[in-house]
Amino acid sequence: MNILEVNKLNKAYPTFKLENISFSLEPGYIMGFIGSNGAGKTTTLKSIMNLTIKDSGTVRAFDVDFTQNERAVKQKIGFMMGETDYFPKHRLRQITDVVRRFYTDWNETAYRDCLRRFSLDENKKVDELSSGMRVKYNLTLALSHNAELLILDEPTSGLDPVARDDLLELFQELIEDGKRSILFSTHITSDLDKCADFITYIQNGRMVESCSKDDLIAKFRTVKGTAQQLETVRQQVISFRKNSFGFQALMETAKVPAGAGLTVEVPDLEDIMVYHEKRSVIA
Amino acid sequence: MKALMNKEFKLVANPLFFLVPLLSALILIPQWVFFVALLYFCFMGAPNLFILAKNYKEVYFSATQPVSRREIVRARMYTLITLEVLQLLVAAICVAVRLIWWRQANFFMDANLAFLGLSFVMFGLFNVIMAPMFYKTAYKIAIPVIVATVAATLFAGAVEVGVILVPFLAAFFDGIRTTWQHIVTLLGGIAIFVVLNIAAYRMSARRFETLDL
Repeated sequence: MNILEVNKLNKAYPTFKLENISFSLEPGYIMGFIGSNGAGKTTTLKSIMNLTIKDSGTVRAFDVDFTQNERAVKQKIGFMMGETDYFPKHRLRQITDVVRRFYTDWNETAYRDCLRRFSLDENKKVDELSSGMRVKYNLTLALSHNAELLILDEPTSGLDPVARDDLLELFQELIEDGKRSILFSTHITSDLDKCADFITYIQNGRMVESCSKDDLIAKFRTVKGTAQQLETVRQQVISFRKNSFGFQALMETAKVPAGAGLTVEVPDLEDIMVYHEKRSVIA
Repeated sequence: MKALMNKEFKLVANPLFFLVPLLSALILIPQWVFFVALLYFCFMGAPNLFILAKNYKEVYFSATQPVSRREIVRARMYTLITLEVLQLLVAAICVAVRLIWWRQANFFMDANLAFLGLSFVMFGLFNVIMAPMFYKTAYKIAIPVIVATVAATLFAGAVEVGVILVPFLAAFFDGIRTTWQHIVTLLGGIAIFVVLNIAAYRMSARRFETLDL
């Protein structure tokens, strides 16, 4: 069973469009949703949550159509938009008191446990919390209504490296029981190197890849060589960067020529993303 | 729906909103245009309700909860209507004071049951213009409030001028003795208020359902 299944999602704006975004996520995994700023990550997540009305395509969650079962499906989803801070001048206690009434499956014990664990003070106002604590408060609310799918838009973007690492560890922990999944967007690819099982990568509103992180990395190689060697592979590379020693480029693994004397290395997600973005700029 | 109403009154409509209806007590001024006492809701209550909700990013909060978009609009309409009815209830008490104990006529339209009925129509008119205009964007509130307030003020002004200049209207609506015309106006006003609010809700919900947030 897929906990989330997005199929050929399309949404057009006057100056931007999402085209045929498709991916799926099974229970017990973390999917990183990557792309540069303006690639359409937030639009995709908002379309999934029906905050933005999609032009076509389907979104299924927990094996039912999202739009037709919106109320029931949202009972099992925890959603957080990056910069959003609702009711900034209200105390956490006041907000929780409102939120808990929306959920049939609210677990007060789990809520209290999370407050203790994250050292959240219910008497603090939202705007007195740091970015990391706000993310943790949102997670607390999601975990307290037993959300099985967490959809988080750039949850790590405002955090320092220690808080980020802490949060990524928490993500790992949350999916350990195999019942819960996390879809989170980010442009900080090192976050995904640490914790993602699957990657969906979009560029200018279009899918580049959606597969396991290992498969994605296996699909590409960085190659290094001299300026003369660049001419022999220029047509095959995704994009390249010249330097004083020659060049460095990203290629599909299958296209790396054997015995050409090139230095071949395993790329990280940042390499894959940067070289793809570079190609799109050149194109 | 209960959860949404709980959100409306605990996080959006703070206790200060419940002081605005007290301005209906201005009906106890001896000689005045009594509609102004109710128009304070259009000047202060309604815009502040929507501005506060916008500042709190309430639409995004509600839209991510397990509720439908129609319910979000319905909850806001109920809040608006609740505050308007409170304003009218205070007005009704003041009208009763004038009709039963004070019994002093007003140069402009008298505070009577017909006045209350026409006030219901005025609020209905305000809602049916303001709400659907607002839910075109769910964040631009100034123009909808201005247009709706001008419409409500023009309606109130037309009634006042009509009662002074047109004998038939004066005979039908004016006076400090309760007549069947006043009762019919009150009941008709309530009916029109209900119909206009249903229309306001339906148009608003339809627009909000297709809106990109």
